[in-house]
Amino acid sequence: MATDSSTAAAVDPGWEALARVAAGDSGAFAVVVEGHQERLLRLCERLLGDVEEARDAAQEVFLKAFRKAAEVRPQGQVYTWLYRIAVNHCLNKLRRRKLVRFLRWESPDEREVPAFDPADERAGPAASLDARLRWDATRRALARLPENQRSVVVLVRFEGLSYKQTAEVLGITEGAVESRLVRAMRRLEAAAQEAGGPGVSPGERKR
Amino acid sequence: MTRGTEHDLLRLLHGELPPDEARDLQERLRREPELEAAWLRLRRTWEGLSLPPAAPAPPGFSGRVMARARAQGSPGNLSWRAAPAWVRAAAAAALIAGAAAGVGVGRSWPALTAGATSATAATAPVTESSSGTVSALSDASEYNLADGYWDVVDDAARSSPSTADGQEIRR
Repeated sequence: MATDSSTAAAVDPGWEALARVAAGDSGAFAVVVEGHQERLLRLCERLLGDVEEARDAAQEVFLKAFRKAAEVRPQGQVYTWLYRIAVNHCLNKLRRRKLVRFLRWESPDEREVPAFDPADERAGPAASLDARLRWDATRRALARLPENQRSVVVLVRFEGLSYKQTAEVLGITEGAVESRLVRAMRRLEAAAQEAGGPGVSPGERKR
Repeated sequence: MTRGTEHDLLRLLHGELPPDEARDLQERLRREPELEAAWLRLRRTWEGLSLPPAAPAPPGFSGRVMARARAQGSPGNLSWRAAPAWVRAAAAAALIAGAAAGVGVGRSWPALTAGATSATAATAPVTESSSGTVSALSDASEYNLADGYWDVVDDAARSSPSTADGQEIRR
């Protein structure tokens, strides 16, 4: 691993673990896996919309990170670097999925949104029907966004990243993040209107 | 609503607008009902996005990852620089052979294309290029026979290419 950024290593202990991995201590990688597995699994699940696929994807992402441990330059936070690998990996999977679906002559809705998955079941019977309908609608809406817009929405809305952090993860400018969000919002608003019209209820109050 | 205002509303929604600009925009929202309606629509759409809590990591997940990582060996040993000379030489030879085969196929391509275009001639206009080969026009927007395929092509063209380690290549 390049060691010209000692300050970054001081900020995120994950870089130290990756440096040890690069030096031959494979076991040190457990620190990275255990420290980031929940976040990566969640991100992959939200990008792919499928729990099982997300688990496979997260494993692949960690293995890619392991292979790159000797070459990565410590910069910022380790999770930003892992997120970048994860987003690229998931987007590639989505593109392959789209191509396979085309080759099989499937309609877009046949595969994108799985039936209730273990994450849903985990919420238990207490979860209201309304919440489930919203989850389903959100999955459908996300599935219809182009991949580059979907990744921005997932990172900003569901991972809570700022424009700056999102730009770092995706390797694009903050302006590009903003443009993708604006385009995504136009599509999401249109989808919401198609699905029954968002309308502005009279009692709604602005922030 | 102008494009700039649309961006500002979104930045206000995400708390990305500097405080003084946020105050100005909120002032405008109070004065302009149309803008306020757009703001409420935007907020409602954004806040309406909801997903269930993510599933927890399955038991033994990190153990499986670590087992696979250990099976790969030390990352330093995975680099091409660390590969034995004969492996690198064999890889280079394979690349050259592949490129040569590609050139060979490419040279025989015009004859194949000329034969194949008769099948597409009925659906797409046919042009003759300066080199004399015949090709079917394939305007994705006009020939919408395969939406899915063109979505893939368009998305691939729009999105930035990336390297294997997830680094996006800047254009």
